[in-house]
Amino acid sequence: MADSDNDSGGAHNGGKGSEMSPREQDRFLPIANVSRIMKKALPANAKISKDAKETVQECVSEFISFITGEASDKCQREKRKTINGDDLLWAMTTLGFEDYVEPLKGYLQRFREMEGEKTVAARDKDAPPLTNATNSAYESANYAAAAAVPGGIMMHQGHVYGSAGFHQVAGGAIKGGPAYPGPGSNAGRPR
Amino acid sequence: MDKSEQTQQQHQHGMGVATGASQMAYSSHYPTAPMVASGTPAVAVPSPTQAPAAFSSSAHQLAYQQAQHFHHQQQQHQQQQLQMFWSNQMQEIEQTIDFKNHSLPLARIKKIMKADEDVRMISAEAPVIFAKACEMFILELTLRSWIHTEENKRRTLQKNDIAAAISRNDVFDFLVDIIPRDELKEEGLGITKATIPLVNSPADMPYYYVPPQHPVVGPPGMIMGKPVGAEQATLYSTQQPRPPMAFMPWPHTQPQQQQPPQHQQTDS
Repeated sequence: MADSDNDSGGAHNGGKGSEMSPREQDRFLPIANVSRIMKKALPANAKISKDAKETVQECVSEFISFITGEASDKCQREKRKTINGDDLLWAMTTLGFEDYVEPLKGYLQRFREMEGEKTVAARDKDAPPLTNATNSAYESANYAAAAAVPGGIMMHQGHVYGSAGFHQVAGGAIKGGPAYPGPGSNAGRPR
Repeated sequence: MDKSEQTQQQHQHGMGVATGASQMAYSSHYPTAPMVASGTPAVAVPSPTQAPAAFSSSAHQLAYQQAQHFHHQQQQHQQQQLQMFWSNQMQEIEQTIDFKNHSLPLARIKKIMKADEDVRMISAEAPVIFAKACEMFILELTLRSWIHTEENKRRTLQKNDIAAAISRNDVFDFLVDIIPRDELKEEGLGITKATIPLVNSPADMPYYYVPPQHPVVGPPGMIMGKPVGAEQATLYSTQQPRPPMAFMPWPHTQPQQQQPPQHQQTDS
């Protein structure tokens, strides 16, 4: 199904440099990405004003800072220097976003499993860390930059969480077939 | 056609109360409770970081109580949509195996995290988690904002709709500074109009809190051994099973747009 584009005043061009200064632009996520996600929550014939998109841009940055601040405080209390995924999940629970934690735990677990594989691959290739020059680009280049920057710390974490992931996998079949358990398994997706 | 279909769908899925609320709000004016805009109504949510707001005058108390009743009724309506939303999220995440294709740029997320001087080092998984969390946050905020858009008989989501969602949900209190005060005043008027149905047609649905229902994914062992897991176990133990409400437009939209391209499946 084609995405019906009926938003008013919203350009699908990610480059907004002409309207915002480069430094200010870095404080927010790209308005095109935010707008695309907003449309998923709305009916097809809904429109989104530009100031609504910009407001959500600000709200998302505030959300990141809000959660990060709480996670950072926890790390300092525990004399740790690196914020990891579990710290963020704990902060979300503390700050009232417990609904987000359950989906994210599965997400984080599978990421760590793949990270374990990548750590082995990275060790084999012995690739140098990439620079974090790109701001708006994402896809694989951005992921590689994010994955490579921590360097040795990533390998250490990969080892620790890899063990945890293996233990959890051994506990039972996590990745089942296409059937989904629970009352919502057939909602909107008949098979 | 869309309006008729939407009304029909809402009626079919037991959302007549919301439709009635919109119609009543549109047809009459309620002059009392003008001071709702003076502050965000406080709801007793067990959160250590949120202090309950103090209402000193009787006018505030009246407005506060009316807002409370409206929020209860609204929560019932929102709960049905949010249950569908969370079910879709669980399914969508279950299908995610490619972590390179994010809907949000990781470098930008990391830069926003680093804006805090106290933040020293960030693991590689943190921006990945935030990319998904921010997507859920945007979806939830937009969904709750759209409720206000519909109450005002509009099809365009505006800034004041977001202000309304922020003021109606305590979990969004940290966003109050982002919304200008005049937007909050406008939201106050919205609350005034929205509370009219409670006077003319009291809610026929009994009020009770239903925790969000999530399909249980993974073995119970995954939850044990972690503080968050313990809380989740408590949540599941108190969960009341309910049939999911099929709010048609959104299930069709979300799975198709959220899935990575290589995992796109025909959904008729």
